[in-house]
Amino acid sequence: MIHFDKVHLRFDTGISLRDLSFDIQKNEFVYLFGPSGSGKSSVLNLIYMDLFPNDGDVKIFDYNSSAVKRRDIANVRQKIGMIFQDFKLLADRDVFSNISLPLELQGFKSNAVKSKVVRQADALGLRSRLTHYPSELSVGEQQKVALARSMILSPDILLADEPTAHLDEKSTADVLDWIWKVHEAGTSVLFATHNEQLLKQNPARKITLSAGEIVEDRSF
Amino acid sequence: MKLGYIIREGIIGIRRSRMPFMISVFSLTVALALVGIGTLAVDNGLQYIGDLQADYDLEVFLENETNTIQKREIAKIISEYPGVFRMDYLSKEDAAALYNAEFGEDVLSLLDDNPLPSSFRVTFSEDYRSALYIQSFIQSIALLDAVDEVMFKKDLFDRVQGILKSIYALAAAAIFLIILSTVFLTANNLRLMILARYEFIETVRLLGASDFMVKAPIFLEGGILGFIGGIIAVLIIAGLETALETYHIIDLPVRILHHPEVIIGMLLFGMSLSALGVLKAVRRMLRFVS
Repeated sequence: MIHFDKVHLRFDTGISLRDLSFDIQKNEFVYLFGPSGSGKSSVLNLIYMDLFPNDGDVKIFDYNSSAVKRRDIANVRQKIGMIFQDFKLLADRDVFSNISLPLELQGFKSNAVKSKVVRQADALGLRSRLTHYPSELSVGEQQKVALARSMILSPDILLADEPTAHLDEKSTADVLDWIWKVHEAGTSVLFATHNEQLLKQNPARKITLSAGEIVEDRSF
Repeated sequence: MKLGYIIREGIIGIRRSRMPFMISVFSLTVALALVGIGTLAVDNGLQYIGDLQADYDLEVFLENETNTIQKREIAKIISEYPGVFRMDYLSKEDAAALYNAEFGEDVLSLLDDNPLPSSFRVTFSEDYRSALYIQSFIQSIALLDAVDEVMFKKDLFDRVQGILKSIYALAAAAIFLIILSTVFLTANNLRLMILARYEFIETVRLLGASDFMVKAPIFLEGGILGFIGGIIAVLIIAGLETALETYHIIDLPVRILHHPEVIIGMLLFGMSLSALGVLKAVRRMLRFVS
């Protein structure tokens, strides 16, 4: 499903990723572990085709990012749910509109949009917040909105970039619980975190990055 | 349905970026109104001058002894001459009636006999109204047997021609400058309007929107903007024309409301300008959004 082969990524400010090779299979749960600046977000952005490798191959589904056409990037992204570190919620739209945006872009009918959004909001305890704007929500609630939006199209892969970084203990447990449920329903998950505690609570395959290199890849 | 999203998002987009939208509408309205006023001013000016010029077309006077056959021959030659738009025959009686109408005296009561000659009044079509061409016409017609004299106020005609040429040149330059500044001003405002949408464009692209789905609602928004700008500009011009007429400041032979083609042209110009302007701005922005 996801295939990295000798991937190098260089930024103007210096090298970000070196010689990365790994595969993620369908229905796998993988922690991408490492301290800040180790390259976790870069890996997720390579998968999301927001970044492109300088050397090596990144293959997502049947698309090789080195040769992908611009219109196919949209196709790839429609099959991937992404939880961004900064949430990327639209400040001028209420929670309902933020969650429903991927459905609207795919041309779902308004009845289907409504029922899917309400179901997702119920699952995350956001029902009473649907008419609120992001600025009226707590950080934990904003994170949940981002989660709801990322899964609204039932994607094959969920990429989560430090989804619990800004959350308190209770919200962290809720979010983690929800992501595991999503995984159990058949979605592959790549979960970037620097919190080792999460791995202990819910063990799974762990790819450890340090200074842009894989230093460990093992399953628990 | 994706079309539903495009229409909804196009309209919602206007509501969300109300201020930049209104600024863009304002600048486009001003620009379109200037283009419209410029065009109408030129049209009205040309109409005045055209009317003036029509009074100074030439007159072919015939000799008193000219018989009907000769008159028919001359009429045929004149009417078949390239560029002759209209030809009217004025008999001696018509000439006397005209004299009477103009000077208030009956020529037959002054003199026993009608001394006024019969004539042909000749009007040339617009494309042939040059002093040189008309001179060549005069030369060939004056050679005909029954023609006594061909009257043509060349100096006046030349002056009118000169004014016409200057107006054409000035109008073309002014309209070109207005259009150029319109395009520049509007494009800049539209770019600012799109810049305010960067967050939205980046986010929807990241959420899997194709370039088409990003561009289409904004293209529609641009079209609506141009339409509103065009309508307001038309209303401003119509209002201005009505005010000029109501207060008897000037009589306008050409009015925008009598020319649906001008209204349609302004609307289409406004709509294409703003729709293509936003499209260009979005395209440029999409270069920075993967």
